[in-house]
Amino acid sequence: MNTKTIPLPPKKGLTTLLKTIRIDGQTLLLLGVFIILTVFFAVTEDRFLTGRSIASMAFQLPELGILAIAMMITILTGGINLSVNATSNLAAVSAGLFLVKLLPAGATSEQALLYIALALALALLVGFICGVINGFLVGYIGVPPILATLGTLTFFTGISTGLTGGATVTGFPEQLAVIGAQSLLGIPIPFITFVLLTILTYFLLNQTTFGFKVRMLGSNPVASNFSGIDNRSILMKVYIISGLLSAMTGILIMSRTMSAAYEYGSTTYVLLTILIAVLAGILPGFGSVIDIFIAVIILQILSTGFHMVLLGVRGSSFFKDFSWGVLLILIFIINYFMRVRKKQE
Amino acid sequence: MAEEILRVENISKRFGGVVALDKVSLAIHKGETCCLVGENGSGKSTLIKIIAGIYTPDEGDIYINGHHHKKLNPITSIQEGIQVIYQDFSLFPNLTVAENIAMNDQLARGKQIVSWKEINRIAQEGLAKINVSLPLDAVVSTLSTADRQLIAIIKALLANARIIIMDEPTTALTQKEVLALFKLINDLKTRGISTLFVSHKLNEVTAIADRTIIFRNGQKVMDQDAKGLDVQTMEYHMTGRKIDTSAVTFSQVQEAARPLLRVENLNLSHGFFDISFDLKPNEVLGITGLLGSGRTELALSLFGELPADSGKIWIQGQEVKIKSTTDAVQNGIAYVPDDRIGQGLFLDQSIFNNIVISIIDRLVYKALFLNHKEKVVESDRWIKQLNIKTPSGTLPVKSLSGGNQQRVVLAKWLASNPKILILNSPTVGVDVGSKADIHELIRTIAKQGIGVLLISDDLPELLQTCNRILLMRSGRIVEEFKREEITEQQLNAELVAVAAPAGS
Amino acid sequence: MLNKIIKTNEFAVFLILVVLSLAVGLVNPAFFSVSTVFDTLRASIVFFIMAFGLLPLIIAGGIDISFVAIAAVTSYATHMFLLSRGYQGGILLYYIIASGLGLLAGLLNGVLVTRFKLPIFDVSLATFTMWYGFNLFFIGATANFELPDGTVGYYSRFLITAQDPYVGETGLHISILYALFIGLFVWWLLKYTFIGRGVYAIGGNREVALRSGFNINRIMLIIFGLMGVLSAVAGVTQAFLSRNFNPVIFIGQPLDILAAIIIGGAAITGGRGTVIGTVLGVLLIQLINRALILAGIPVEWQRLAVGIVLILFTSIPALRDLRARRVGHTTELIGAE
Repeated sequence: MNTKTIPLPPKKGLTTLLKTIRIDGQTLLLLGVFIILTVFFAVTEDRFLTGRSIASMAFQLPELGILAIAMMITILTGGINLSVNATSNLAAVSAGLFLVKLLPAGATSEQALLYIALALALALLVGFICGVINGFLVGYIGVPPILATLGTLTFFTGISTGLTGGATVTGFPEQLAVIGAQSLLGIPIPFITFVLLTILTYFLLNQTTFGFKVRMLGSNPVASNFSGIDNRSILMKVYIISGLLSAMTGILIMSRTMSAAYEYGSTTYVLLTILIAVLAGILPGFGSVIDIFIAVIILQILSTGFHMVLLGVRGSSFFKDFSWGVLLILIFIINYFMRVRKKQE
Repeated sequence: MAEEILRVENISKRFGGVVALDKVSLAIHKGETCCLVGENGSGKSTLIKIIAGIYTPDEGDIYINGHHHKKLNPITSIQEGIQVIYQDFSLFPNLTVAENIAMNDQLARGKQIVSWKEINRIAQEGLAKINVSLPLDAVVSTLSTADRQLIAIIKALLANARIIIMDEPTTALTQKEVLALFKLINDLKTRGISTLFVSHKLNEVTAIADRTIIFRNGQKVMDQDAKGLDVQTMEYHMTGRKIDTSAVTFSQVQEAARPLLRVENLNLSHGFFDISFDLKPNEVLGITGLLGSGRTELALSLFGELPADSGKIWIQGQEVKIKSTTDAVQNGIAYVPDDRIGQGLFLDQSIFNNIVISIIDRLVYKALFLNHKEKVVESDRWIKQLNIKTPSGTLPVKSLSGGNQQRVVLAKWLASNPKILILNSPTVGVDVGSKADIHELIRTIAKQGIGVLLISDDLPELLQTCNRILLMRSGRIVEEFKREEITEQQLNAELVAVAAPAGS
Repeated sequence: MLNKIIKTNEFAVFLILVVLSLAVGLVNPAFFSVSTVFDTLRASIVFFIMAFGLLPLIIAGGIDISFVAIAAVTSYATHMFLLSRGYQGGILLYYIIASGLGLLAGLLNGVLVTRFKLPIFDVSLATFTMWYGFNLFFIGATANFELPDGTVGYYSRFLITAQDPYVGETGLHISILYALFIGLFVWWLLKYTFIGRGVYAIGGNREVALRSGFNINRIMLIIFGLMGVLSAVAGVTQAFLSRNFNPVIFIGQPLDILAAIIIGGAAITGGRGTVIGTVLGVLLIQLINRALILAGIPVEWQRLAVGIVLILFTSIPALRDLRARRVGHTTELIGAE
């Protein structure tokens, strides 16, 4: 038995990269839905495919999208992270308070940028710490993830509430708005961030040993332990990444709304990220972040599309929730028939 | 000849293109204890499922209690008095003894409202039938395997079973419990209840069966009085080939070499005490003992799953601390668990993934990127080397048979290039052919320099592979035997001997 | 017998409840008053009702969050409908119509789960989103305060009244009786019918439940229907207790009620759980909220305190399991032979 395995470097090139991206049934289904909906709305509403409309969608969806990725990686390990939104808000609140309390009045542009950078670093640090707490409870103490993150969700929100006294933090230097409201080469920065993070996560989950271990742990944590994998360390890292991603969402929201609050989104936002994960077919050990990406876009299309179509109708902004619920049920039923057909083969 | 209860004639069954049963006929008489043996894939579970009404035969006839059936369904099978006790005993772990016993009866009567008095009465009656006493309100998950099995048997009796079919009933029982079970089966015999049991423990078969039935490749190849059959003849008929153990060459231990593994005064509270032993290079060291002797705990401790409270461990002369499974693997210790499905395999994941999981950190290039190609190359190598039968390595491991699944677990560990391989009951639930292959593999591994610790209660297995055997009792090592110096009978006697009173 | 009670999770929660009450009472004697009891119960009524509806599903091994949405849509839709018809009668019709709608909504979940073999949680996620959206878009997006004449007195219909030294006259609202009867009914269902035992069986081992002869689909449909009806009852009751119909009532609270049931001793994986435990769990959470106020903790820090309590509550059993696993591995032990 040889002791050394000689690694074969893979062939470079786009074609080989594309070959390693596995396109499976769920992805095709989601792409199909995406195409159908885009066509539907483009035809029924001529304002749908305009530059402004697309830009508007591209500004809004990354917040939910990055949060959905934060949720997805924990589901892959067979867990869940109910505290993603709470982490996002806490990170935003911390950064916001730092900025508001410590930035001297009449600061120069350079100073403002410095303080903003520090504030953002603080936000990420907060996200990191929240992740450590979750990782500790789930990985080291062994609390069931749904219960652990239910506790931390309340705990983190509690800190935000306490720090802000319930009030919304405002009064940020205008430079902050750049991240959330500006575009680079015509593409909104938040969207670019979302795409980059999706690619990074894809890479992490599919091209590294870490990602491999994450999936195996999700498939069977006991066997993972019995195979010599350090489960606790993997879980800790997963929840830390989840926390960092949540913090990034907080930064984006803070930048776009120029405010930070303890209750932005609340539980409904968390449930939405779970809905996206379910739509994308994420299961312990199995799931692709590409599907999350498409699922988020689908949800955004439905939201914006129906909003436009129903413009003027009272409560039009709520139709999206109804449509999301119905879409999910339809996808479930389609998946059922797909499974039945597969079994017959 | 006693009255015939069940007769099947010329039963055939095909699944797709595969013939599972080929014109099988047999009969079970009143009060008879029959043992059904055969390798995985021999058709024995298919026949059981046909008798239980879960499958329908393509051809053939079934006669029960004189009634002719072309096929059965679960309800008619039960009505005719066939009761199958599966390996999970079909119990509700969260409900009480009384409820578990009485549930099926009450449901069968179409009851809507629960009368606890009635349930307790039925349960009490059931317990009395086999002269056993268990607390009615004990929650089943707190009971031992043996007690749970008793409840399953009571359920079968309450359903007026004429034939009770048991699937590997002695797997998790202690020696005492096995004897109690056999006594119960004999008692049922006197009441005219027949038992059909499927077992791979051939020496038990000779102990309890009236008649032994052997299946091979979907056909019945032997059906006769159990008394005349010895284990070797049974094995021969099961596999169609002679497992010639006399031609086996054992690994030669390097007596003078520094021990691969040295353990001194290892202690684990509630587990084992004062364990000290050596494992030399090229050695296969067997560790045996009854259930509760601490042998599994010792193995888990060496693997870092249950780190010892005190004591020292040296590997290749270096002292090491093993506090987690990761430590163990990093120190070159590998563990093939007894619970292959729950602890050894990732059922939904591909065979490839299952094989490389323990060495995944090595399959990288540029220190970061997972090398998919190398993963496939490495896995394919092991699939070939260990003869894992599968059309493709991308298929999920759950698609494999028990023997092949065990090979995947072995592949995983051999790929990690271990110094010490610990195996815990490696051939349970594996067909006789694969079993012999795995034994040969163990000897080969040892010959190549890896030290092997074989935890097993299968005495022939120990005698066919080990150089030395340690006997554990109540958490301590009480005896050490060299393979050449002991016979199976002697070993068995030592195994079941009751410990000397306090002070040993 | 007593020994057995003491070992249960429910008893542990009861103890904590008692200890906590005593502790708070020591800090602030105003706690030991009739008004505290009445107020706590009043605030708990709708949670009891919803939790009773959710409990069988949890025992069967499922987690559902749509019950809050069903409470909201059935109560709000019933109200807007009756309002549009100029209804001026009493509360009974509300309960009847809402319960009917709730039954249908619950059955929708049930049918999706049984017919298409979908996970309970996933379906509830979809219907949660759908019903709130439906409510807000098709029925109305604003809270409505116009109550029919016949219901006006209901708000102050008290079962018992008492004089409280601190607050003056205080009363226990009559709807506590609904919670009581519903609780008794669910308790009876779980303990004395084979629907109830079936629920425990399904939660314990679904395969075996099927083999034993339970009609799993029928049982699931029944408990989903029950969940729908009870959610509707809770929604209507809440509306009358607060004197307005809110389309997004309870939207932030499904997890809180789930937490209460788990704290009350139910297993998140199913197979275990009792009505009395659920009552204790809800009371404990109410008590903690109240205790924080009376202990003088500022409003903005109360959420944090609850969070700490939740983390402790879930960590302690986990730590116990961690230790037990070490010892438990070796239970068939020394002296076994």
